[in-house]
Amino acid sequence: MRPAPTPEQEELKQAIREFCAREVTQERLLAWESADGDATDGLRRAIAELGWLGLGLPASAGGSDASLVDVAVALQECARGLLPRSLVGAIRGAVALAAVAPESADVRGLAAGERALALALDEESGGTPGAFVTRIETRDGKPCVTGVKHYVPDAGAALHLVAAREGSGASLVLVEADGACVVRDALRSFGGDQQAHVRYEAAPVRARLTPAGEGAEALARLRRQQSALALAEMIGGMEAVLEMTVAYVKEREQFGQKIALFQAVRHQIAEMGMRFTAARHLAWQAITRVSGGCEQGHELASALAYVGQAFKQLCWTGHHLHGGAGFVVEHRLRFHSERAQSLCVRYAPEAPALAEIANALLGK
Amino acid sequence: MDYELSARERAWRDEVLEFIAEHVDEELAAESRSRGNEGRGPRAQRFLQALKDRGWWGLAWPEEFGGLGKTAIEQWIFIDEIETAGAPMLPLTVTSVAPTIMRIGSEVQKREWLPRITAGEIDFALGYSEPEAGTDLASLRTRAVLDGDEWVINGQKMWNTMAHTATHNWLAVRTEPEAPKHKGISMMIVPMDAPGVSVQGIWVWPGLRTNALFLDNVRVPRDHLIGERGMGFYYAAMALNFERLSIGSIGMARRHFRAFVATVRERVVDGRPLREDPWVRERLARLQVEIDAARMLGFETAWTLDQGRMPAAESSMAKIYVSELSQRIADTGCEILGLNGQLHAEDPGALASGRMQWLYRIAPMLAFGGGTNEVQRDIIGFMGYGLPRK
Repeated sequence: MRPAPTPEQEELKQAIREFCAREVTQERLLAWESADGDATDGLRRAIAELGWLGLGLPASAGGSDASLVDVAVALQECARGLLPRSLVGAIRGAVALAAVAPESADVRGLAAGERALALALDEESGGTPGAFVTRIETRDGKPCVTGVKHYVPDAGAALHLVAAREGSGASLVLVEADGACVVRDALRSFGGDQQAHVRYEAAPVRARLTPAGEGAEALARLRRQQSALALAEMIGGMEAVLEMTVAYVKEREQFGQKIALFQAVRHQIAEMGMRFTAARHLAWQAITRVSGGCEQGHELASALAYVGQAFKQLCWTGHHLHGGAGFVVEHRLRFHSERAQSLCVRYAPEAPALAEIANALLGK
Repeated sequence: MDYELSARERAWRDEVLEFIAEHVDEELAAESRSRGNEGRGPRAQRFLQALKDRGWWGLAWPEEFGGLGKTAIEQWIFIDEIETAGAPMLPLTVTSVAPTIMRIGSEVQKREWLPRITAGEIDFALGYSEPEAGTDLASLRTRAVLDGDEWVINGQKMWNTMAHTATHNWLAVRTEPEAPKHKGISMMIVPMDAPGVSVQGIWVWPGLRTNALFLDNVRVPRDHLIGERGMGFYYAAMALNFERLSIGSIGMARRHFRAFVATVRERVVDGRPLREDPWVRERLARLQVEIDAARMLGFETAWTLDQGRMPAAESSMAKIYVSELSQRIADTGCEILGLNGQLHAEDPGALASGRMQWLYRIAPMLAFGGGTNEVQRDIIGFMGYGLPRK
């Protein structure tokens, strides 16, 4: 057992930490947030040059052949430093495509940062293939996608990996999203991931990523991979919130003393630390096992059920202890709080995780 | 990042599980439950003898003292599996007092006491708390005065669990009344059959016995003061440190939870399987998640120890989490059982052997005992996050 990053992973973390400290300033966070569309192109090129977009991709496609654990280590640090979600999404998208179709010709472009890929998996009616309305049809002998995918993160990306119904099953396909047959209805959401409902109007399939109608299993694997990566993001956010709150209570004075001297405050910090420590281990146990394909039971469900809620709880406590100082729009704390909820509802909803655990305990 | 047991750790866990399969059965667990603090029953005696025969009595002891020198992770594996199985844990004499003597005792003291502990001749009660010195242990008043070659001890100890079955007391006494209160305490070994020692039983809520200990001009040889004079407060803390892995273990609660889940799977209420009740499913799933989290905190303590660091904050986290989670498990369990959840463990109609009701009664002690959770939270703040003390 070695529940700590390797020296190489520490080095990667340190590089990302320094990058974020330099590039992700308060002014830029606010500017990116109010920009019309994605304003982080320059940064994407920068992280592509650093090789971070190709972290989990095959070396043959310009990647570094790193494991999912390495990617998660990077994403933890990206989240800690509030790297824009569009860039995190670019890393996620590349890893997703490499996992489903490592031989895809588009992997290289993603590693180089030439294009980005969005994951169009969910629909208003749910995320399971049986409930999909979006379908793959044949027009003029060629497959195309018709339907609406909802809440697509980073929907402005040039490539979309779409999960759609085909026959009695599901397929995963790649769609060029720059054409007229892909229409985005931008959403105002928090979490910074530029979401949209996306309508595909007989959009041509660029590449099939799974055999026709046989993609349900690959989709389930993809969701587990993405959830595992979300765990790392959430741990990074928790780490930042805990650090900034500890620093604040050590400095802030009220009633003539540092507020950290009040036992009531100290105990809330202890509670945050305890939740964070448990969450960190649950998360990394799940990530390493998903990465190694050696899950032994319900560890991913357990981590998702715990970490998402713990992250939000840390944010609430962080807000409480910061008081008004943490409530102003410029403060980094509220960015983490937004991401906490955003990550939680997409990747770590508590109810299905608990249902999975209940099934394991009590049968279906 | 690696969360898998190493080959050596896996082999050790398999060996422990094999031992458990061979030596632990429901009758042993039932005997332990029914005897409470009234000494070991014949089955527990046999089990501990088997542990000793296997050489596991000193599994955490350094090899130079005949121990196995197991890593903290290996000790954690052992404690986790033994507690989950419901087997008796190694006595504190072996896991807490002996390792302290190994580190602080003179060579003569080590030769005097350690072989007798190893042989099972000595069983200690731990004499720390007093009527006016609970959480604030440094305020203890029991005095020891040197009179020639003997210490003369006068005072009273509280919560001196097992004093009525122990052969000796591991006693914290004030020997330097003029020194600052943390620096005036020494550790002493007092035979329970020494004249002037008397024990009065105190029965606590879960039906267990603990004791008040009275010391009236009790005389012990000068060399029964272990280690250095005036260092007893720190030695008591050291002895408590050796209990960290046990105190933060979720094993016991996990065992009761598993047994409870098995009962829920079988139970039918109003013609409907209890396990189909959405509220029951949600509550049990939540508790399982919390148990998984608690186990990780125990693991964190062991990992920190193996890194050569004192896991002050880490073990406090585990202690808080396990004790408060035990309360939630017990409360939820009783509630899920409905009216049956109030039945005493000895009532033949009690479902799940009355475990939830028993846990409900003992759980408060887990939170205030072994250092109250308020103090543990302070420790996390000070030691874990560098919060100021003044």
